Amino acid sequence: MRQLRFAPLALIAVAAWLLPYGLDSYAIHVVNVILIFAVLAIGLGLCMGVGGQVNLAQVAFFGIGAYATAILTTRSGYGFWISAVLALAATVAIGLVIGTPALRVQSHYLGIVTLGLALAFTNWVTNAEITGGAEGISAIPVPTLPGVDLSSEYLYYYLELIVFTVVLVFGLFVVRTGLGRRMRAMRDDALAAGALGAEVPVLRMTAFLLASIYGGVGGVLYAGLIRYVAPESFSIANMFLLLGMVIIGGRQSLIGCVVGAIGLSLVREAFVDHPTVAQIGYGAVVVLVVVFAPTGLAGLPGRIRSWWSRRRGQPGTAARLQPFQPYPALAERADAEEVLRVTALSKQFRGLKALDDLSLTVTEGEIRGIVGPNGSGKTTLFNVISGLYRPTRGRVEFRGRDVTNQAPYRLARAGMSRTFQNLRLFGDLTVEENLLVALDRSATVDSWRYVLRPISVLRRNRDLHRQAREVLDRYGLTEFAGLPPKSLPYGIQRRVEIARAVAAGPSLLLLDEPAAGLNGEEVRQLSEIVRSVRDSGITVIIIEHNMGLVMSLCERITVLAGGRVIAEGGPAEVATHPAVIEAYLGDSMDDIPPVAEEASR
Amino acid sequence: MQVFLQTIVGGVSLGAVYALVALGFSLVYRTMGLVNFAHGNVVTVGAYLASTFYLSSKLPFALAMVIAIGVTGAIGLVIERVLRPLENRDFDLMLIGTIGFGIVLDALIIMIWGATGRAVPSPVPSAPIDVFGLRIRTYDLVVLAIAAVATVLLVLFLSRTKRGAAMQAVAMDHEAATAVGIHVGRSNAIAFMIGAGLAALAGGLVGPLLYVSPALGGALGIKGFAAAILGGFGSIPGAIVGGIAIGILDSFAAGHFQGYSELVTFLVFTVIIMIRPTGVFGERTVNRA
Repeated sequence: MRQLRFAPLALIAVAAWLLPYGLDSYAIHVVNVILIFAVLAIGLGLCMGVGGQVNLAQVAFFGIGAYATAILTTRSGYGFWISAVLALAATVAIGLVIGTPALRVQSHYLGIVTLGLALAFTNWVTNAEITGGAEGISAIPVPTLPGVDLSSEYLYYYLELIVFTVVLVFGLFVVRTGLGRRMRAMRDDALAAGALGAEVPVLRMTAFLLASIYGGVGGVLYAGLIRYVAPESFSIANMFLLLGMVIIGGRQSLIGCVVGAIGLSLVREAFVDHPTVAQIGYGAVVVLVVVFAPTGLAGLPGRIRSWWSRRRGQPGTAARLQPFQPYPALAERADAEEVLRVTALSKQFRGLKALDDLSLTVTEGEIRGIVGPNGSGKTTLFNVISGLYRPTRGRVEFRGRDVTNQAPYRLARAGMSRTFQNLRLFGDLTVEENLLVALDRSATVDSWRYVLRPISVLRRNRDLHRQAREVLDRYGLTEFAGLPPKSLPYGIQRRVEIARAVAAGPSLLLLDEPAAGLNGEEVRQLSEIVRSVRDSGITVIIIEHNMGLVMSLCERITVLAGGRVIAEGGPAEVATHPAVIEAYLGDSMDDIPPVAEEASR
Repeated sequence: MQVFLQTIVGGVSLGAVYALVALGFSLVYRTMGLVNFAHGNVVTVGAYLASTFYLSSKLPFALAMVIAIGVTGAIGLVIERVLRPLENRDFDLMLIGTIGFGIVLDALIIMIWGATGRAVPSPVPSAPIDVFGLRIRTYDLVVLAIAAVATVLLVLFLSRTKRGAAMQAVAMDHEAATAVGIHVGRSNAIAFMIGAGLAALAGGLVGPLLYVSPALGGALGIKGFAAAILGGFGSIPGAIVGGIAIGILDSFAAGHFQGYSELVTFLVFTVIIMIRPTGVFGERTVNRA
């Protein structure tokens, strides 16, 4: 079987190697241009499809690579390959600058900013003297390679083919290991990814870094192939063409991007005498794809398969949730330390005081319950503790360190983990990948390993998969490993989210209404899981409305109302506290606390 | 000082056009949280339609404009109807969908009117008026007056009519609006239609000011968007202030940086977004999600 899997690949490789023998000189030129577009499309796919960063400046990266090569070879007199390396460095530097708006804005805003910067680039090259103005730069020297005459487009094809294969394999390598997984997690839900320790700002820049590398490589290849650069090659029309390739092919799949690039280029070639007709055609296809097949051509096989199995009336495989296997309990320690200390915390939303001078301490090994009427500030408290909100006043100490105003991912890496009231699983990742994101604690800045020590990345990836299998097994989720979380029943999704939060290896676990929407049996299992998690040495704070669960599970309970602590103590103590009874049943209507905003807003 | 004031006067009428483009963007954005990337192309379509009816069919300028607004309004309806399945689901996909429409419109423009542009003569006598030594073209005054009337009508529509109030409700909370019986899709369609109409108005008005070519809308679209952001996206007074500000910035950049004026405008725009994504009158945070 294993040999058979590689058979199609080998076939494609042989076909690609033999391709030039069947082509005339014009056709090989077309193929060479297609390969360059394919490289650009992979870069755009990595940035937009994998990283979720709207990037309409890919064509500018392409242009910078090509223009820098042209300028360095013709004006400064460097050799082609030295120029190529310098051009790549220049593209990356400018790519990172163009990417900085991503740190502040996303989606539409990012689209328009990158588009504006791309226009600024074309404006510059058409006007500047060094770029030759509207005429561009011609007579770029032929790249030299000992023994190979690269002025022949047939031989240039092999150079491009090798570069293309390398960058495609590297792209796939990134997507399928930790870095790409984290980028995809960020794309699906940046908030949850941050809460699991993904360094969102660094990842956004990484997305633009990758896009600019691919853009620069494309530009260098273009300069070497055409040996002439002019502004119109890097126009917005070409940017949208590139976007069309990525969307039609399927932005989340690099292979899809390549297929889109090849397909659209061939169609354009077929309509070479009627470019406007071709343009109407691919514009319309882009619209149809986003409405009817958002995953593009790459998503078609999966859609056809699921349609087929639905037609044949096959129910989904009858995967069943297995029982939870408790963690081995740690010996109880007498010298319990303070894990969390919140001092005089206030949080104000314009006129609304969600937290009002709130103080709280939680010691190691506790299961602390936090209850209170709706709008009493429970979720706001979690959001401030886990770094999603900046408090208006007050401080948060975690394991003896002041962590007020720290970014969520830093807190997550320091050992804080949380779940969300309305489930934030990464929708386009499988259950197993959701866990892998949490398990992977390597820093994104260590991504140089992808270039210099790929084997160690692979080994680490294998390790993570092994750990993920253990977690799946422990939570009885093994049969759901390969499924997207959205396809699972609600109770199982809840369990996946808890498994994910614990997989991050925290010392403090924040659970925000984990029993919401669960049936009686599921609540019982939840209580078993939480107890076992605590026994394995993790301190738990739990917000819950299910009083039965809170009373049976928590040793200490803190009651909030109107953003303040109104009572704290053991279950029996709290239940009879007059302030608590008043807050829940109320003796007057005028002190109903205002509704606090949720994290998701 | 004279030159300074003259530059400002020169920027204001173009600024009014940017403001109209920005209003179209803002109206669609506040109703459905979407930036219509085809908006610039709709402006071009409007400019070509208005100039065609005015030049070739010899219709009065005002009538040519009304027809252009009607046709682009229909285009707006088509765009909204096709993308409706994605509404309130995936904004990134909708954004790409509007880019797709932009690609199609761009090609249609070239197909119908050709790749070369045309100059449109001013519909009013062109002798400039002299006010305290400043030369003001009469057409500039026409542009300002029409833009002002359009803005007042839009504000009245949004605040005084039932349909307008329904659109405001959808803008605030589309689910709650559905719950009280407002047809969200229809409300979005109207927003798109009015937005496209405003684009055509801007395009028709800008014809005699600039050269009408297929590339017209790209620059106008992005500058109109910059205006909308500068003022605070979704805010109507913001769109007006932002439009005039970008017009004046543009006018100064053209005077000082000549060919590089676009570069300067876009860089300034990027810096503004970085510093204050919500703009001057911005009320909402950037991420609606």
